[in-house]
Amino acid sequence: MMRALSNLNPQTLRILALLLVLVLVVLFFATQIDRYLTGRLFNRVSSSVAIMALIATAQTLVILTRNIDLSVGSVVGVTAFATGSLIANVPELHPLLLVSFSMLLGACFGAFNGFFVAYARVPAIIVTLATLALFRSLLVEFADGRSITSSQLPQWLTSFPNTRLFEIGDFQFRAAFVVAVVIVLVVHIALQRLRVARKLYAIGSNPEAAEMAGINQKATVFVAFVCAGALAGLAGFMFLARFGNITVVAGLGFELKSVAAAVVGGVNIFGGSGTVFGALIGAVLVDLIETSLVRWQLVSEFWREAVLGALILTAVALDAIVMRRLVALRGAKHHEKREREVTGG
Amino acid sequence: MPAPLLALDHVSKRFGSTLALSDMSLDLFPGEVHAIVGENGAGKSTMIKVMTGIHQPTEGRVLIEGMPKTVSGTQAARELGIAAIYQEPMVFPDLDVAENIFISEVGGGWFQNKAKQRRDARALIERIGMDLDVDRAASGLTLAEQQAVEIARALSQDVRVLIMDEPTASLSAHEAEQLRRIARQLAADGVSVVYISHRLEEIFEVADRVTVIRDGEHISTRLIGETNTETMIAEMVGREVGNYFAKAQSHARDEVILSVDGLSLEGVFENISFDLKRGEVLAFAGLIGARRTDVALSLFGIEPASTGTVTYKGEPLAITSPRQAMDAGIAYVSEDRRKLGLAMPMAIRANISLATLSGFLSKLGLIDRPKEAEAAHRFRERLNIRTPDVETEVGMLSGGNQQKVMLAKWLNMNPDLLIFDEPTRGIDVGAKAEVHDLIRTFVKEGGAAIVISSDLPEVLAMGDRILVMREGQQMAILDHEEANQERIMALATGQGEQEKAA
Amino acid sequence: MAERSTFSAMWARVQTWEGFLVCALIFIVLMNTALSPQFLTVSNQINLFQLSIEKIIVALVMTFVIINAEIDLSVGSMMGLAACTFGFLFQAGVDPVLAIAVTLLVGLVGGALNGVFIAYVGLPSLVVTLATLIGFRGLARVLVEDRGITDFPEWFDNLGQQGLIGPVPFALIAFFVLFAILWVVLQRSGFGRKTYVIGTNREVAAFAGIDTAKHKLILFTASGLVSAFAGLLYAARVGAVRGDVALGFELDIITMVLLGGVSIFGGSGTLLGTLLAILIVLNLRNGMALLNITGHIQTGVIGILLIASVLLPRLQLSTLFGARKRQEGSA
Repeated sequence: MMRALSNLNPQTLRILALLLVLVLVVLFFATQIDRYLTGRLFNRVSSSVAIMALIATAQTLVILTRNIDLSVGSVVGVTAFATGSLIANVPELHPLLLVSFSMLLGACFGAFNGFFVAYARVPAIIVTLATLALFRSLLVEFADGRSITSSQLPQWLTSFPNTRLFEIGDFQFRAAFVVAVVIVLVVHIALQRLRVARKLYAIGSNPEAAEMAGINQKATVFVAFVCAGALAGLAGFMFLARFGNITVVAGLGFELKSVAAAVVGGVNIFGGSGTVFGALIGAVLVDLIETSLVRWQLVSEFWREAVLGALILTAVALDAIVMRRLVALRGAKHHEKREREVTGG
Repeated sequence: MPAPLLALDHVSKRFGSTLALSDMSLDLFPGEVHAIVGENGAGKSTMIKVMTGIHQPTEGRVLIEGMPKTVSGTQAARELGIAAIYQEPMVFPDLDVAENIFISEVGGGWFQNKAKQRRDARALIERIGMDLDVDRAASGLTLAEQQAVEIARALSQDVRVLIMDEPTASLSAHEAEQLRRIARQLAADGVSVVYISHRLEEIFEVADRVTVIRDGEHISTRLIGETNTETMIAEMVGREVGNYFAKAQSHARDEVILSVDGLSLEGVFENISFDLKRGEVLAFAGLIGARRTDVALSLFGIEPASTGTVTYKGEPLAITSPRQAMDAGIAYVSEDRRKLGLAMPMAIRANISLATLSGFLSKLGLIDRPKEAEAAHRFRERLNIRTPDVETEVGMLSGGNQQKVMLAKWLNMNPDLLIFDEPTRGIDVGAKAEVHDLIRTFVKEGGAAIVISSDLPEVLAMGDRILVMREGQQMAILDHEEANQERIMALATGQGEQEKAA
Repeated sequence: MAERSTFSAMWARVQTWEGFLVCALIFIVLMNTALSPQFLTVSNQINLFQLSIEKIIVALVMTFVIINAEIDLSVGSMMGLAACTFGFLFQAGVDPVLAIAVTLLVGLVGGALNGVFIAYVGLPSLVVTLATLIGFRGLARVLVEDRGITDFPEWFDNLGQQGLIGPVPFALIAFFVLFAILWVVLQRSGFGRKTYVIGTNREVAAFAGIDTAKHKLILFTASGLVSAFAGLLYAARVGAVRGDVALGFELDIITMVLLGGVSIFGGSGTLLGTLLAILIVLNLRNGMALLNITGHIQTGVIGILLIASVLLPRLQLSTLFGARKRQEGSA
């Protein structure tokens, strides 16, 4: 069976495994919690996943190039606040313009990160650890003690996320969720089909070979960070729409969750492989576990973070161990092939 | 007479005070396989770098079809149709074969046409005469297959000059044959193939012309029919082969210090058996890929064997870690100074004490610096390491001196058994002789040595007995009297009969 | 080498990164003195240290970790977990001395957890400590939930807040003692030498018979232990414990180490450099406070400093100073 499994595309394998885990988790909680498997669960999870899905996608783009972006949480917070501020002051602003603003602002932050990582060659962990603090401090400075409240926001904005687009029985497909999923799918397809996007994978897979093959690593990594920033900006917009009340701590901790979602979703932390779709499922899984923990009487909700940490560790450890087995399997296959050559040839 | 596709016109390349290439002139025509041979350090890799635009000539010009051009980098070189493939394949493990081939393709729109890509990839692979599943991730390919992907990639970019740097170094015999066939095929298609190899016999199979270089200078360019191995070696070395490779007398004593029986590591090597006496030098000969280093790593505890027995000083010994091997008195001098042998940014003194650090510690665990420095000075004398002091960064030393520092590190352990892996790779001739003397002195004083070497003359000069390996198999153990280059090469390439271990 | 003008001859004497830091420090101290006449008083200086004393203690161990070409992002969360463990146990009626012992044990175990996954399972330290950054913080919250725990015994509070020898508090003494010990270990001991070698090139160390896995395990365990110790000091100094204790401390700590000249890629740097960087960061924060710049903004400035500390060596100094030689204390 291991043989058959090792012949399948590893990414497909990973997604199948994830879906299996998802089902198992749902079943487990269904036995622990009354009236768990209801439409309400779906609605709740889908609403909160909408935002994290976008951030996890952003993080995936960066991780694919063998980098990391610890500043996404701060970017979400800043763009949410700035967007709220803008619309509060200019209420007649067209929705599309507002969204564009969020994305553009996010892209600027991404460009800042991207410049230092791609062109100044400062390791991403350092740059984004710094901008995590820097962007947050910019927010505090800009906010100057105020916060955004939903009363300041126009009706269309606050009601948009929960607008029921369509229903299947009790399962409501709300606007925020649908939009997020569509965007994730678009990015996923782009990553598989767009030439430029394939270079992201190449860079993460073998940076030296990418250099030799003439791929412009600096530009590609820069663009990855800019796109990640834009997606984070969009997530900030969704965050504003969902919560309405924005304080200076908005988005705190999101970066860690996004790394968790990506890693759990099969994105290799060393870059070069993984899909955005996997990150989406990872985000769903993480959110599902968190939401369920809140309702689970046995365990206090304060276990959320601890479980998250354990989850990342398990996912990465399992990945590494499974990878090694697969490599060993392939190595043995090679030796067989060589042996046949040697004895037969 | 058409202009050569690529020509080096009196090219010199200087790095600081070192002259890597001196007045080098070379021309490459389409449709030929042009071999370049030379010792390590002769300037081959510098030449490649000048041709592919990684380095710019200090003097002289690079001519493309007779016109002088500045090749500003690998990208520019590729646009001019010049590409190189190296021993280590540059493929993307996570992408599939088709994508690997076309990754740097320009034009064709924003989106990948997967179907077309697959078709074109299959066509290219067929053209080379290989059989690969283009949907397979590159990580699942063998080394030879990965090289084929690289060649296909070059072909997809209309390569006109393809440089192959030691392409068969890590391949099996069958795969090497395949690669040579590909090289000839490419030449037949009009490509100019530059073929760099240490395997002289291979040159005769694949090349049309051969250029010998030595110390950065052009020595000769001949048609393959107008030369032979002896001439080539003589031109490479620049002196009478005889003197250079004199074999000293054996100091082998009666006591067997190491006895290896049926040593195997699944998937890597099998059934290695030999005895080693004190005072003896056992040379391990074979081509690259024979897995000799793996046997050494197994004796040193880095890749412990799966089956077989090792008897050391009369007692059975299961070696599972380097520390254990070292405690038993076994030392391994790595073939890769830069990656495995030396901490380049650290001082000579610190490198020499590295394997024996506990011997320099006081009771509190503090390092006894004066003692360390004293040991370093002693080795500087003994090994004639040319350096003003022992505080110099090892990375600043020449290759030969670096090698000596590495040796000092291990000699400080007073080992009984020293395994030398390619001890004179990448060092100048003078230092080579010094290292050989060192090894001889070591065994004369009662140590036992295993010398792994891909340099046949060195094998014959050092080995009291010679163990020949091929593809992880032990082919034969030859006494020095019955060994010569042809016989060893025959065994190493699988043409001779495999003999049972003595 | 180009001819040296008197200017560059002068610069040549300040040729090491440490020399550059000394100049920067002098500059900042002068600025601060100009901003406030009380700046150079003993009480202000002690206060300057006290505000960040826990961070700088952890920075000493972090120096080892980064020289070893690893990173520990979980230190802040371990500090929080330690503080919360102590608070939880204390509130549950456990004898405070026993509670301290258990807390230190938690630090040991947490650090070892990191160590095992990094050294023996072979996962990258970035990911492992990112996971434990979340995990330890989570455990802290489980223990303390959303409450705040105060009313620690008086001796405990005094230890954190009052002077032990004259006006110098326990924590500050602990810092200097630890600095002295760790300096000797790093620059003079076999363990320190191994730390540098493994950080320079792990394979070379392994091929020389060094047990690199054990070494890393020890380092991360020590990091956990010292972080726990620092967490206790924080609880003592502040007199209260909440779930978000030491949130975000890792930024300052890593900045201090990198600014001190320790390369993120491992193999070089000194504790002296870290000490100078600590002084710079502390004085900078103090100066900003004097200018009424809020904590959040200060953190932002530290962020800029972090990027600069990696950029500057590469850009500026290599051209000014020729081949810049980083001292690794000649270890």
